[in-house]
Amino acid sequence: MPLPRKLTTTLAALSLSVAGGLFAATAYADTLRVGMSGGYFPFTFVEQDELKGFEVDVMNAVGEITGDEIEFVTASFSGLAGMLESGRIDTIANQITITPEREAKYVFTEPYVYDGAQVVVRAGNDSIQGVEDLSGKSVAVNLGSNYEQLLREQPNADDIDIRTYESNIEQDVALGRVEAFVMDRVSATQVIKEKGLPLELAGQPFSTIENALPFRDDEAGRELRDRVGAALAELRENGELREISEKWFNTDITQP
Amino acid sequence: MLNLEYMWGLLPVLLRYLPLTLQMATIAMCFALILACLLAVVRVSKVPVLNGFSLLFISFFRGTPLLVQLFLFYYGLPQLISSLIAITGVTAAVLGLTLHFSAYMAESIRAAIVGIDRSQTEAALSIGMTQSQLMRRIILPQATRVATPTLMNYFIDMIKATSLAFTLGVTELMGATQKEAAGSFLYLEAFLLVALIYWAVVEVLSWGQRRLEIYLNKAYQR
Repeated sequence: MPLPRKLTTTLAALSLSVAGGLFAATAYADTLRVGMSGGYFPFTFVEQDELKGFEVDVMNAVGEITGDEIEFVTASFSGLAGMLESGRIDTIANQITITPEREAKYVFTEPYVYDGAQVVVRAGNDSIQGVEDLSGKSVAVNLGSNYEQLLREQPNADDIDIRTYESNIEQDVALGRVEAFVMDRVSATQVIKEKGLPLELAGQPFSTIENALPFRDDEAGRELRDRVGAALAELRENGELREISEKWFNTDITQP
Repeated sequence: MLNLEYMWGLLPVLLRYLPLTLQMATIAMCFALILACLLAVVRVSKVPVLNGFSLLFISFFRGTPLLVQLFLFYYGLPQLISSLIAITGVTAAVLGLTLHFSAYMAESIRAAIVGIDRSQTEAALSIGMTQSQLMRRIILPQATRVATPTLMNYFIDMIKATSLAFTLGVTELMGATQKEAAGSFLYLEAFLLVALIYWAVVEVLSWGQRRLEIYLNKAYQR
């Protein structure tokens, strides 16, 4: 006896949703877990217990398109890579720069931020006009960031006293404890403008950097990368990416 | 100079994270006490095999930094045993604090036990007490009194060590402060405020410790 048509469709729908449920449990469900430090103004920071910033807005916009629920996970920057590696988060939205080492390990979306590495000194310090003047000087970089490596690639790398910090590098340069720090130009400009610390840019950026979202290099990670990457492309297409950039930086940092 | 208005506004925000900090420390302290007592008794009575294990345990957890242990268990081990991924940051932090501090506390409890005069043991045995009666009724009550100040020391240290949990993605008191400071750039205000909060908590504990010591000293009042 053939089953009534309605029953078969119900059964089919049921088995599909069960399979979907199982699949979701093993893959990433509809929740995209995004790691960030929460301590990197204006990309990701907290004000009165509310997580804000450029990265937060971009990821929420991505979620609107893909239909994923975006779950933000904040942790010390040095813990983020371990979280991605061990599968506790799906990607990191913390102005992550594409480097050959990282590309060997992760799959990246297309870049959504273009920027340059910038030397920043205490206001009034004329002895440093760029990266070539850093010989014999103490320079702060964030632990786990790629600026340390960018500095080590400079011809005068051996003469630079590189200090690695967990956080608060702006504060230590403002206090005069180290002579300069290296950060991306966009957030350095922003820090100086918004926060009134006695700092200034020293010369021009010395390296172009491209930021993108990293995912684990496995089947589920690549699938997720494609989905999020397509959403980023759509945001670029419809101008929303530019709008978010202008909201936080008064300029479009999403174009090369 | 200080932006007091900002500090006043930040206070209720930071206080929201205090319960989690205290919770992690309290739970870890309870487990650490139990584990430390077991380790200490094993060491004192030289239980075969277990004694060797205790020595190794104490050696490792005292010999490596807490941060290294946390990273090892939370980020390292899941690469070997993938089911360990189910452990949350809070659980991992509590586990790390428990193991780490139990190693220190075991030694301080062992010292307290060994420090009880031999005459106490001899007197108890001479009136026919068993080994376990001797431990429960004579040695441990006296050892508790001796060990209390140092154990409270470890508890205070543990409360402050919870600040490492932010490296595991747990936003506790210190993590919340770091993120707020990054948003406002008022480092002095934010960190001064969080220092005052930690200090106040520890002061309350110290008061409790004094009460506890008075209670435990009752039998010694003349």
